[in-house]
Amino acid sequence: MKKLSMHEALNLALREELKRDNKVVLLGEEIGKYNGVHYVTRGLYAEFGKDRVIDTPISEESFVGVGVGMALLGFRPVVEMMRMDFSLRAMDQIYNHMAKLRYMSGGHLSVPMVLRGPEGPGPNPGLTAQHGQQLTTLFAHCPGLRVVTPSTQYDAKGMLKAAIRSDDPVVFLEPGPLNNKQGDVGEDDYVVPLDQAEVKREGSDITLIGYGASVALCLQAARELEHDGVSAEVVDMRSIRPLDMRPALESIKKTNHALVVEYAWQSYGPGAEIVARLMAEGFWDLEAPVERVSGQEVPLPYAANLEELSKPQMDEIVGKAKQSLAQ
Amino acid sequence: MSVQSQPSLSGRPSLSAKTLQKYLRQMLTIREFEQLGEREFRNGLIRGYYHSYAGQEAVGVGFINAMDLKRDYIVDHYRDHGHCLLVGIDPSRIFAELFGRASGVSGGKGGSMHMYSAEHHFLGGDGIVGGGLSIAAGVGMALRRQPEDGICVCFFGDGALDTGTFHESMNMASLWNVPTLFICVNNLYSMGTRVNEHSSLSQLVDRAQGYGVKTEQVDGQDVFAVAEAAERIFKYMRQNKRPYFVEALTYRYQGHGIHDKASNYRGVEEEAKWHGRDPIKLLTEYLIAEKVMSGKQIEALRSEVLHELEAKVAEAAAAPLPNPADLTKDVLL
Repeated sequence: MKKLSMHEALNLALREELKRDNKVVLLGEEIGKYNGVHYVTRGLYAEFGKDRVIDTPISEESFVGVGVGMALLGFRPVVEMMRMDFSLRAMDQIYNHMAKLRYMSGGHLSVPMVLRGPEGPGPNPGLTAQHGQQLTTLFAHCPGLRVVTPSTQYDAKGMLKAAIRSDDPVVFLEPGPLNNKQGDVGEDDYVVPLDQAEVKREGSDITLIGYGASVALCLQAARELEHDGVSAEVVDMRSIRPLDMRPALESIKKTNHALVVEYAWQSYGPGAEIVARLMAEGFWDLEAPVERVSGQEVPLPYAANLEELSKPQMDEIVGKAKQSLAQ
Repeated sequence: MSVQSQPSLSGRPSLSAKTLQKYLRQMLTIREFEQLGEREFRNGLIRGYYHSYAGQEAVGVGFINAMDLKRDYIVDHYRDHGHCLLVGIDPSRIFAELFGRASGVSGGKGGSMHMYSAEHHFLGGDGIVGGGLSIAAGVGMALRRQPEDGICVCFFGDGALDTGTFHESMNMASLWNVPTLFICVNNLYSMGTRVNEHSSLSQLVDRAQGYGVKTEQVDGQDVFAVAEAAERIFKYMRQNKRPYFVEALTYRYQGHGIHDKASNYRGVEEEAKWHGRDPIKLLTEYLIAEKVMSGKQIEALRSEVLHELEAKVAEAAAAPLPNPADLTKDVLL
């Protein structure tokens, strides 16, 4: 194990996979000579050259399409969105082609590619409305896409390696707020399964459920609740599509209370889906309605105080956890 | 280029009688296939959309015969039945796809616009105008990294020139020396809108300028002209590893899709004028004039083709529906 930031962990995954399989190619804006706006591709252009680490024009729709075309012929493109917000430009390729070609072709074709990039308000503040959105919901809605998001540096490396080796297209969402945060990363060639949620902290009184950057909020809330004698379990969903509900359902058998925390806008989002499935499959284990804390449903504002208020609030998380337990 | 001012074919004495007969058989097969398809659409066997290739046969025949499908690939648009026939997919599997049967080329999951066959290097069939352009650039990127000097051919209509991705794809294909041939099949109408009402320039080939890519126009009614251009262009592309843009001037006899009554917006006079330069008529006139085939032989060939296709329709119509369990197969849920 060594201490690495999230972007260093992702960089290591890319480096190892580029070395392992010469069908892996990277495509994106400023990923090569410039070394990547969020440092994820740092040093890879120098090491692997311009045919493996391909700098693209600002043509999101079409370089995602180039990735699809290369994947159809057996390459494993990893396409970076400088910010996930820019994927909106590429939605035709993502939704209508990348996600659907295997099905529409009756299984003739497959698209083994990864679409990756940072989402949400971070790492730096002040990203504002078109650069700091959390668009998980849009990808999570679409059959044919595998949608994953790591919350630890260790998972980031192992999940990205697994994503590159997946024969299905993967949308790999990197939590912007965690990009520069450090944590333990394995130095061996390990992969983390893409379809398994994981308990990140054990507890017995309430289950806090998060994904991506909100897992850190859940862990912090668990520590605060501990001061008040509440033992919170934290489940990291990791895979948004497909959802692995098993650890959360197991957890509520023990805790009988649950709270879902997410940066995304609440309406119709992954949190809504998680709550619906808890109700459908775990209703009789619950002693109180599942609580939810989400990002404010506003475009990400600029002013520091407003930006802060737009994120899920710690006092609200702790407060709703206690409120649930009081019922 | 004014296509309609040229009354007859450009002439191609170098083609063997066997090749000429193959071209005719292929063009007749496509024409009869589309007529049977339209019949079965009206009979209710085919649902949804149906984009007929009738009238445009010389474009596909000229280009696809010049390809080497052991190493080359096609990324097509929704008007794809004719191209499926030309790459050698069994007509019964194309009809079966149109009828939504398990034996269809896409297992019944694609339909008219979404035919795929990895084995035939046929990568669709795409329902989004301009949707295949960047994929074709990507296929070209992949081919450029392989030793076989393969080429990707991308067919699309005049309407696709109006999408942003056309310009993005041309730019990247040129920037990265991608061997993708972009063939704009200009049948004069972007759905129901005439080219002069959707394009800022009347010569579409001019809209492909600006990317350092070689371009040319070809008379898409003249199978010899298309075949000549195709052979020359593929040779250039294999040698130079460069993209290329062609505008093929042609006409579709049906509307954009089968529901679309084209004479409402383009007038019967224009249609009659183009029927006067029908690609099959021009070829048969040439074959008769050059005594390659007699009129009687040509009619016999047409009947033979039709008879064969009728058997394929029957075969497809008798094929089973997809297994309900296949509803959730081939997609990550």
